[in-house]
Amino acid sequence: MEQSPCSQTSKTMQEPQELVEETVTVEEDPGTPTSHVSVVTSDDGTIRRTETKVTKVVKTVTTRTVRQVPLGPDGLPAEGSSPAGSCTDSIDRRYMKNGDRYITPQANSTLTRAYNNYPDACENRHEMYRSYTGQDGFTDVSDNYGSLSRGVHYRPRYAYMPRDNYRLDESYTLLNRNKYAVAQPQVQPDGSVDLNRSQPERFQPEPYGLEDDHRSLGPDDDGYELDGEPEPDYSTVGRRAPTRANGRRSRRGYDDPIEAEIIEDRIPYLTGVYNAPLAQPERGSMASLDRLGRRSPSIDSIRKDPRWRDPDLPEVIAMLGHHLDPVKSNAAAYLQHLCYENDKIKKEVRQLKGIPVLVGLLDHPKPDVHRRACGALRNISYGKDHDSKVAIKNCDGIPALVRLLRKTNDMEVRELITGTLWNLSSYEPLKIVIINHGLQTLTNEVIIPHSGWENEPNEDSKPRDAEWTTVFKNTSGCLRNVSSDGSDARRRLRECEGLVDALLHALQSAVGKKDMDRKSVENCVCIMRNLSYQVHREVPGADKFREPAADQTGTGNSQKKKKDDSGCFGGKKAKGKRNVDADKNFDTLDLPKRIEPVKGYELLYQPDVVRLYLSLLTESRNYNTLEAAAGALQNLSAGQWTWSSYIRSTVRKEKGLPILVELLRSDSDKVVRAVAIALRNLSVDGRNKDLIGNYAMHDLVSNLTGGQQRPAKNLEEDTIVAILNTIHEIITDSSSNARSLIQAQGIEKLVAINKSSQSVREMKAAAHVLQTVWSYKELRNALHKDGWNKSHFQPNVTTLPKGSKSSGKATGYDDSTLPLIERNQKDGNKWPGEMIPMEQFGPDTYSTLDQREKERKCKTSDVSGDAFERQPLRNDTNKRNINRINRASVNLVDAHDTKPQPVDSWV
Amino acid sequence: MAFVAGQPVTAVVQRIEIRKLRHGDNLILGFSIGGGIDQDPAQNPYSEDKTDKGIYVTRVSEGGPAEVAGLQIGDKIMQVNGWDMTMVTHDQARKRLTKKNEDVVRLLVTRKSLQQAIRQSLH
Repeated sequence: MEQSPCSQTSKTMQEPQELVEETVTVEEDPGTPTSHVSVVTSDDGTIRRTETKVTKVVKTVTTRTVRQVPLGPDGLPAEGSSPAGSCTDSIDRRYMKNGDRYITPQANSTLTRAYNNYPDACENRHEMYRSYTGQDGFTDVSDNYGSLSRGVHYRPRYAYMPRDNYRLDESYTLLNRNKYAVAQPQVQPDGSVDLNRSQPERFQPEPYGLEDDHRSLGPDDDGYELDGEPEPDYSTVGRRAPTRANGRRSRRGYDDPIEAEIIEDRIPYLTGVYNAPLAQPERGSMASLDRLGRRSPSIDSIRKDPRWRDPDLPEVIAMLGHHLDPVKSNAAAYLQHLCYENDKIKKEVRQLKGIPVLVGLLDHPKPDVHRRACGALRNISYGKDHDSKVAIKNCDGIPALVRLLRKTNDMEVRELITGTLWNLSSYEPLKIVIINHGLQTLTNEVIIPHSGWENEPNEDSKPRDAEWTTVFKNTSGCLRNVSSDGSDARRRLRECEGLVDALLHALQSAVGKKDMDRKSVENCVCIMRNLSYQVHREVPGADKFREPAADQTGTGNSQKKKKDDSGCFGGKKAKGKRNVDADKNFDTLDLPKRIEPVKGYELLYQPDVVRLYLSLLTESRNYNTLEAAAGALQNLSAGQWTWSSYIRSTVRKEKGLPILVELLRSDSDKVVRAVAIALRNLSVDGRNKDLIGNYAMHDLVSNLTGGQQRPAKNLEEDTIVAILNTIHEIITDSSSNARSLIQAQGIEKLVAINKSSQSVREMKAAAHVLQTVWSYKELRNALHKDGWNKSHFQPNVTTLPKGSKSSGKATGYDDSTLPLIERNQKDGNKWPGEMIPMEQFGPDTYSTLDQREKERKCKTSDVSGDAFERQPLRNDTNKRNINRINRASVNLVDAHDTKPQPVDSWV
Repeated sequence: MAFVAGQPVTAVVQRIEIRKLRHGDNLILGFSIGGGIDQDPAQNPYSEDKTDKGIYVTRVSEGGPAEVAGLQIGDKIMQVNGWDMTMVTHDQARKRLTKKNEDVVRLLVTRKSLQQAIRQSLH
């Protein structure tokens, strides 16, 4: 079972996590007017300037807080984490929008900003609202709002919200007023509760303002992440897909209401805007906000019209081509703002051919221009609407981004570029494009330098630790996504010079520093997991390491085996014998001595990595990381080549089995599942099987639902099936393990599942285990004593047939876990083309890939991610079983030929 | 269970007493053994150490005296009525177990689960 990389991991990348604040200067105001700038210190400590135009409006600056994180991936998906984060974010925002929401701290935060804006600012904002009908209306509004929210995104929305909103939130209004009244400059003063709350929040983590921008990003993220599971993680794999389906919706559910409102509001607004946007709104320039002071908002107004208005979208896009660079950059910044979380605007930008213009600006020599263009592209690239991503790609945006990455040393720009690429990488068809144009650059420019790895270390220099920068996080997220794009992608990444070395170095640094919970670490582990998938097939020269047994597949048949079995050690055990022999080999096997240091992809499967993964499994509290690390071990222990044998015995020797068993108690469904499958692969090694049977049985069984008692955690069907299959694996050919199962009170639960599970797959898997238990005649006495009889061990007749059908309908992966019998039946149907290659080798089956995104797509459920993995597993399992049988028979034959059969005497 | 010839073996053992059952002219114990110093130890599926040439229980007949007494498949027989079984040929072991003049055999056996239980408790 290898897990393939999940893009899983990768895909999901977007995380809510960090918010980056960006200040965007949005609009320029026309007029040259003199504006008064007032400086407000916000709680954050940032100084904002508000310019009040008396006569003319200078600029409107919107400060948005962007969350970088989410973006990273396409927004898509960073499977896990992002969702959560994003969710929050989005929610907050929304809250803010509605007066009600105020309660939320975040909302407050917004407010604060608002504060920053002066009253004047407020007015300005109103202007911003533009469409807002008239100034009059605004006025009122403005008071209430207090420029607050608007600072960022809000405004537009607010604008729409109109009075109702205002009124609705009484508190809201009040607060604002208070704020204004009290201290414009300082937010806090009022002491209004809301305000206070908000303030702190805002500032601290994320500036709201930023959020806006980020949010724009964020939203997408949210979408992605949110969709998914509530859980933060996302495993590498497939999750995302599932997530999207479910999660998003749910979140959307959230958002929707709000958004809907917004949209409605906006629409009128928008229309208005287009028609005659702004005139008034601009008065107060919101702008003043640049927090960092980076930008000076003021721009020459394009028109000198007495009345200001916001430019409409075509105008903004036209401004991207303005001969003055500041106009270009402001237009781009405004676009970024407009696109934030607004799929409709993104679509319009696309339709108005704004994307090629933005991409063109990436090559602009002025940092301000390419930075803003990149910011706009990042927001545009975020979200589930893949058309925007494709549009960026179609005008050669990917090579342009990569080119800019090579050129710029500006950290912010690099973050934007890698964030955009992360977003783009969430869309399947773009993955290979990113690999083709950016893999080596991303590796050389970001991964290697930030990982601390040095190709030819200077003897004088100390080994460096990884720097967990946002750029590194974004880039690793992007690579995580692209690493799930199938075998070609995996090959490219494995062979990318320095990539594997640097990722391992970074992970080792994380382990050394006990800093294993961050997103970057998760991304790295997910990449490693994906690259470990199918190594035994895909690595150059893998044939040399193939274990002979694999070749014997197909020889012999089960009947023959049975007869031959009767060696002195007894029939049943004959199968076990094969394992025994193998074990012996493993134990005596010396790892190949290397003269040259190992490097590149060979590092993936060196037994040394076992310790790294085990450290992560021991120390990390990030479920995605745990899942990915277990998945990596799962992938490495799959397959029938010498290295997987080493890995299996190394896990044992490094005392990894107890660590894995411990994780069976994890609260995370995905972790339990990955660990269960890993244990199954590891038990291919006979000694591991004995140990796992003895030590893990109780924990495996306790994860099962059964009898009256439900397990503390509610595990998904796939997980239950995986556990059942693992149990089946470890009791196969081992009556002592079957006895352990009985002693762990497993029979009761299995019988209950077999009899009354709601899931056909669970039922089948349980039936399969029971049949195996019953096949040990020596155990029957004990079973009878416990009150069981043969009927308890029969498959549930009524359900089975139905089950098989249903399983057929279900996406292929279901099968993975199924017992052999069913699998055989199903084999025909299920595995899609991808699987084919794997099938050749029995053992491989185990591997799980994250990647299977494609398959996922078909699937609706969140399971999909896992499913991917599973599929491979299934296949593997089937084959593997076959192989095993074959091998056993083969072995017997060999024994006859070469050595005397062992003697077995009855006494 | 690794051991060096000539050195004392330390193992966690269980004492099992089996009363033979008369089956026609034969007294039976109801289990079968494999292993011995004249056998290929690598083919022993029960041993942890694949060079272990000890005597192992390979089958236990259902409802037979050995099963009733608690003998399990995979048990390694250390002693039979005080006689060492760790360095004997297969046939010597068989004969030691099937003395016609003994109705009861007392075995010292060890098994993985015992070893592990101890190891666990030590941790």
